[in-house]
Amino acid sequence: MDTYHWLLTLHITAAFFFVGGSVSAGVLNAIAVRAERPSETAALLRLVRRVLPVIFIGVAGTLVFGIWLWNCAGYSIGTAWIWISLALWVVASALGGVGGRHQEHARELAERLAAEGDVSNDELKTILADRKGNAVSWAAGVATLAILALMIGKP
Amino acid sequence: MIVATYNGPFWPLFLHVLGAMVLFGAVLAALAASVAGFRSAAFRSLLVAVPAWVLMRGGAAWVYSNGYSAVKNQTWLSLGMAIADGGLIVLLLAIGTAYWSQRTSSTLATRIAAGLSGVYLLLLAVAWLAMAGKWG
Repeated sequence: MDTYHWLLTLHITAAFFFVGGSVSAGVLNAIAVRAERPSETAALLRLVRRVLPVIFIGVAGTLVFGIWLWNCAGYSIGTAWIWISLALWVVASALGGVGGRHQEHARELAERLAAEGDVSNDELKTILADRKGNAVSWAAGVATLAILALMIGKP
Repeated sequence: MIVATYNGPFWPLFLHVLGAMVLFGAVLAALAASVAGFRSAAFRSLLVAVPAWVLMRGGAAWVYSNGYSAVKNQTWLSLGMAIADGGLIVLLLAIGTAYWSQRTSSTLATRIAAGLSGVYLLLLAVAWLAMAGKWG
């Protein structure tokens, strides 16, 4: 394989880690939200943390190998779809971080309730069903999807 | 992700890649849940993998009908298609054992489900590496 295909392979692998890891976290989070007992919710949200390294490798790898590939593939410095993708990468990363903090808050409360008798309360239910907190994570997903569309469509 | 060698229509490749990434994520969640002993979560994660597989395979067939049939003897394409089709058996076995694990709380079934999920993740990785690097 030549340098270009090596970089493309690493870039696509990073993208699989980024998107796949995010999907994985999203699926586990969705199951955690529907769990009956706070101990289950807390354990599943702890499991989400184990997937985070996959997402972090993907986020860093897409940027590093993407920029390297940009140079190697000979795209001009003014290529609009790449700049838009970079902006969306920043947005997706920032929103993902905010969504992650929301999940952490829910996990901490669930762990506290699990230790105090393992019965859910209104506060936990409100946090888990919080539209604003969940909307941030969904928005991060939409930004990631938009990056994927730009990379494939190259408008 | 910069995909530079495809010149066909947008939607077939987009749906194929999106399906493959969601498939990877769902199976990764199932593996993490199985290893941690969350039988129900593992089974439910693997159920998400089914529509993702359909999207990935349907997108692949659509891409194939848009010009890639001309290069069907290339290693990367035949390997990718073999894993897409043959991997379905591994995925269905993983779903079956995850269901068995959930119903019976069997440690053996949980381990088999985790093992099959891990094998399927490796197969998916080989497929994307072959297709991205255009092996052969």
